[in-house]
Amino acid sequence: MELLINRVFDGLSNGATYALLAMALVMIFKATTLINFAQGEFAMFGGFIVMVLVLEQGLPVWIGVIVGMILSAVLAAVIERTLIRPFDPADHLPLVIITLGLFLAINAIAGIVWRFDPRAFPEMFPSGNVFTYGNASLSWYTVGTMVTIAVVAGGLTLLLNKTKIGLAFRAVSSNLESSELVGIRVGPTLQFGWAIAAAVGTLGVAVFVASPVRQLEPQVMVTGLIFAVSAAALGGLDSLGGAIAGGLAIGLVQSIVVPYLGVPSELSLFAAVAVLMLVLLFKPAGLFGTAAVERV
Amino acid sequence: MAAGTPMFTIEKGSAQYRAYRILGFALLALLIFIVAFAFNDTGSITLFDNDYKLSITRVTKAISFMVAILGLQVVAGFTGQLSLGQGFFFGTGAYLSAWLVADHGWNWFATLAVVVPVCFLLGLLFGVPALRIKGLYLALVTLGLAAIFPSLILLDILEPYTGGAAGKQVDSDLKPPGWLPLDGTVDLLNKLPVFGQYFGEGSGLSSKQEQRVWTFFLMVVLALVCFKMVNNLVKSRPGRAMRAVRDNETSAAVNGISLSYHKTMSFGVASALGGVGGMVYVAELGIASQGDFTQLLSILFIVGLVVGGVGTLSGAVIGGLVIAFIPDWASSTRGFPGLPERWLQGPTGGLILGIGLIVLTFVLPGGVIVGIRKIRDRIVRIIPRPPVIPGQHDLSDADAFNSPATAATV
Amino acid sequence: MNATDNVMLDVKGLRGGYGAIQVLHGLDFHVMEGEIVVILGANGAGKTTTLRAISGMIERTGAITVAGEAVGSAKAPDIVRKGVAHVPQGRGTLPELSVEDNLRVGAFIRKDDEVDSDMDQWFEAYPVLRERKNQRAGSLSGGEQQMLAVARALMSRPRLLLLDEPSLGLAPIIVSDLFERFAEINKETGTTMLVVEQNAQLALGIAARGYVLESGEIFTEGPADELIDDDAIRKAYLGI
Repeated sequence: MELLINRVFDGLSNGATYALLAMALVMIFKATTLINFAQGEFAMFGGFIVMVLVLEQGLPVWIGVIVGMILSAVLAAVIERTLIRPFDPADHLPLVIITLGLFLAINAIAGIVWRFDPRAFPEMFPSGNVFTYGNASLSWYTVGTMVTIAVVAGGLTLLLNKTKIGLAFRAVSSNLESSELVGIRVGPTLQFGWAIAAAVGTLGVAVFVASPVRQLEPQVMVTGLIFAVSAAALGGLDSLGGAIAGGLAIGLVQSIVVPYLGVPSELSLFAAVAVLMLVLLFKPAGLFGTAAVERV
Repeated sequence: MAAGTPMFTIEKGSAQYRAYRILGFALLALLIFIVAFAFNDTGSITLFDNDYKLSITRVTKAISFMVAILGLQVVAGFTGQLSLGQGFFFGTGAYLSAWLVADHGWNWFATLAVVVPVCFLLGLLFGVPALRIKGLYLALVTLGLAAIFPSLILLDILEPYTGGAAGKQVDSDLKPPGWLPLDGTVDLLNKLPVFGQYFGEGSGLSSKQEQRVWTFFLMVVLALVCFKMVNNLVKSRPGRAMRAVRDNETSAAVNGISLSYHKTMSFGVASALGGVGGMVYVAELGIASQGDFTQLLSILFIVGLVVGGVGTLSGAVIGGLVIAFIPDWASSTRGFPGLPERWLQGPTGGLILGIGLIVLTFVLPGGVIVGIRKIRDRIVRIIPRPPVIPGQHDLSDADAFNSPATAATV
Repeated sequence: MNATDNVMLDVKGLRGGYGAIQVLHGLDFHVMEGEIVVILGANGAGKTTTLRAISGMIERTGAITVAGEAVGSAKAPDIVRKGVAHVPQGRGTLPELSVEDNLRVGAFIRKDDEVDSDMDQWFEAYPVLRERKNQRAGSLSGGEQQMLAVARALMSRPRLLLLDEPSLGLAPIIVSDLFERFAEINKETGTTMLVVEQNAQLALGIAARGYVLESGEIFTEGPADELIDDDAIRKAYLGI
């Protein structure tokens, strides 16, 4: 029983990272119906920036995280302006190729600059447990990740619903032509989406490797992307709330179902892919997304 | 749109055309011959103090990639389904043939009798759910497929077959027949003026080298067979149906082309080709290890597909060479004037390919093959034979009868 | 309507289309300030393309002037800022957003603080919009969405309103009500309107002048009451 509780907490905190990364994917997908295959690498790179700021420049952890988020947002904005905007948003193929190129390039740059040895990441949340009940314990880390998701979710909701740029973003996601006809400049609006997505992704990686049992290295998000994508699909690719639900669900599946079914840990990735496939086959709109009408 | 008149204009079906084709084949044969003997571990280019090997093992590796990318041409280029999972089938073919040769003493080419149907069926199996998943979603799912391959290999129950984390070692059995004068050929080539020095140091070939040359020749033949088969497929009715599916699914369906049949079939063919590529890879390398078959490999295949040129057969050749050589050469670059040495350690190959992919999307979205064709068109242009319509003698615009859509893309 | 002597929209030699397919072959027309002008024509004549050319949605050549200012090769978001609002064919509602958000986004280019009071005015004029203020705009009926689209366009306080086939897909009784409201808006706010319509009778009923388009060229033009009485027009376009 206590083991189960521990597993649930583990699953939730793992799920938090997938949720954050899934939210990043959803931001871009909502506005452009494009899946950014390089999202994980953006996030990983942002995580390294944070690490450099905190461990080498001596910034306090949370300041480093915020600055890192801002810097990765800026980088993403630059990438959107130079590599994405020149292409017709409706034609996905060149854009997919570009994101694959970015995947390779960013992963390589991280490997060249920081090598492949895992590095310890500064702790973002107090260590130790909030309370303990027998063998079960709720760590500050778990609580911290949950709070982070809540804050991000709240922040994004405010951003999208109460600000002008948020309105523009929702308009562009809804109907591009009508948005232009009311004077919204689509390019900068999408750029905003990319920037926010990168910042959220960076936070996701930071939270992930801030765990006492994990370390930061360039390959950290290569399989993480698959989990995040499954989470986003499960929640419906255009729903932020769905991304959270999906992320937590995948995290829980990973930590509870997999050990209980006696499935070896290597197959947790398999489980995530299976979830992805089943969702796309049977309920492409996910649990919370809006169904697209397809004729013929 | 004339970029200057070509030097030669050849009509299809004419005697000149036949001569052109024969010349092409002869050049290809000569190239293969030279590569076989010149690259046999004696070939390397030295630039800026870096040693870039042109070894024949790498070329054979490139051939395995070419076949895999050829498979991608079928599924992505010809039916428009973007698959990021070719590495899965490549790895399956590799492990399957490694196991059959190492544990059961099969001949490498005999393993194809198992690899091809197994991979084909796996591809079909995968192609069925793929019908309901389109575009980007399919890319996602196939990426997931590629990602789980290494973990599947590492499963305990499969360990006796796959060798687990250590990999499956196989002794390459492809010994050339005794009567083949490989040694003698090298000696002869060595004696050539000017070029002779590239063909070895005059001491003949060691048995390991002979094996490599023989493997190379065999794999070239295998690859040519695969390319020829795909070429036939492209020109056939099913092939045209596939391209109709790619261009406009709705019209294709309305025209009676069974979408599901052609799409799943193409997946099967593509996966079978992936498996064949895997066999070539492990036959050359001598070991199958799961670290070689990660999602990175699947992404590299896409790089090769795009760099070469989607929807073209020659593009697969170029793509295979690019992804086989660039990462190796990039890591062989120890020093470059102007760049600090520290920058050159690490996955520079990945960086070059990633940047190259991005640049190519801007500059040559059709792949390198487009650039090559432009150059070729300056020299030789093939025009279709004007049709002969009984009773009409004056045809001013022959091209109007042959739309580009029906021409095979090679 | 109270048309003044100022030219609100002046178009000379307008050519445009979709890539290789050129639809407009040199149009010359104008709209005076405060007027309602109608563009009629059969399907495929180029009516919608004309509006899209003016609002900057497609590539075009020719001289377009709005309130004396040349538009040049500006793109849609900039043309909106010159005071042009375009209600596209099919209404262009943002279905996932609420009714209120649809109105608010209409005022996107405005930097003043009267946006809320403008919205209140629209709620006064069309109480159904207030009732459904927080509902998804996609859940409104066709007629309601049309009014929402017009209100959204007017939220930017445009000088020139372009309406593309507002009657499309709507029941006749709704459509006549719709056109009454257009006339009202024009009378009360003086907004210049250029309306593209297939329903010639209703459109000519509220307009001052009309142009008839055929195959991308202007076939005939004249005051609305003359066009209505013209036998050839009636046969060809009004089915009378």
